[in-house]
Amino acid sequence: MVSREQVEAVLGRIRPLMQADGGDIELVDLRGNSAHVRLTGMCAGCPSAHMTLYMGVELALRDEIKEFEELVVV
Amino acid sequence: MRPPATFSPDDIVVGHSTRMRAIFDFVKVVSRSDSSVIITGESGTGKEVIANLLHYSSSRRHQPFVAVSCALFSENLIETELFGHERGAFTGAIKDKPGRFELAQGGTLFLDDIDDVPLSMQVKLLRAIQNRTVERVGGTRSINVNVRVITGSKRDLKQMVAEGNFREDLYYRLNVLPIVLPPLRERREDIPVLTDFFFRKFAKARGMDVPAVSNAVRYAFSRYRWPGNVRELENSCERIVQTCTCGTVRSGCLAAGVLFGASDAAPAPVAGELAVPGEAPSISLDDRLREVESNLITWALKVSDGNKSKAAELLSIKRSTLGDRIARCGLVESVAREVESPVDLDESVPVAVSA
Repeated sequence: MVSREQVEAVLGRIRPLMQADGGDIELVDLRGNSAHVRLTGMCAGCPSAHMTLYMGVELALRDEIKEFEELVVV
Repeated sequence: MRPPATFSPDDIVVGHSTRMRAIFDFVKVVSRSDSSVIITGESGTGKEVIANLLHYSSSRRHQPFVAVSCALFSENLIETELFGHERGAFTGAIKDKPGRFELAQGGTLFLDDIDDVPLSMQVKLLRAIQNRTVERVGGTRSINVNVRVITGSKRDLKQMVAEGNFREDLYYRLNVLPIVLPPLRERREDIPVLTDFFFRKFAKARGMDVPAVSNAVRYAFSRYRWPGNVRELENSCERIVQTCTCGTVRSGCLAAGVLFGASDAAPAPVAGELAVPGEAPSISLDDRLREVESNLITWALKVSDGNKSKAAELLSIKRSTLGDRIARCGLVESVAREVESPVDLDESVPVAVSA
């Protein structure tokens, strides 16, 4: 099972940069080995930010956590 | 072969780094000569740009500039590409075809990826360059060629010679005027100039206003390793200009690879993770705001190397206010510790061997 700490550790790596621009990536929920996240702040409404971040963050999560399955946008 | 029209001196950005300035000064000097130039640099450092600049600032500029990547062709094909062939030389050779050497007659031939040329072909190349004549495949006639040869290599040819993968005689023939292009991570001071240049260029091409760039993005760009060098930076800027929907480039616009790369190069954030236990988490606004505040202050102090006045400027607050807030967030000790032992990015990151 993927733990909240594991996911937060990965998200925490890019969090300061996001926050510096008034945004954030928030872990809303963990379901099994999938994480539900939300972009907040300045880039929340930008489809490009969603696309690139979610794709890249999912890759990073899978890279770091073997059993990680899916990143879900909520 | 690319038409000369694709190159214009406007494509050249001279940055602030002394190494690049030295290179451009050197290019000015050697563009007057006819001797062989070898340009060594990782992929994306601008070898072809320099080759173009050499050609268009030389007396050969009204003659053709022919660029060919030696990595594109198989061992057999590269010979017919460079030297041409006669009709009937092999199956499918239905007419005479001049090679790149002949096409560059009077001008400049840029042979990129010379390190990918197989040993057997190196002998023929040496003969052609040395005697200034080529023989088409299947032909017997020697054709005189007057070309200036510029070669590009992503590997150190001298080392390849030592390893027996590159002919020593060809190496010395090519290595008359060497130019070594530094990877982008070794001239980080040029990143802001290049970033602005590319944003301007792509915004202009798209007919939109040049986007504003946030400090966090500049910080990320200055920290990232750029394994693909200037080409990667150019592509990043192009992607952002094509996808930006709000007119300001923020960290959310960056590819996650750049974000992670830049963040991993920096020390871990001081503020603890937000622990939200249980099913229905309650959020304390004050705690949350303080966390954001302390992260931002830590970031600003890092960017400004611990200089509080600069950090305050970055955050658009007064220097005295910054002091108060540092105290309020309880950052004093941890930040002070960090600033005492800053992590030197260039030394802590391993340097990749160019591929």
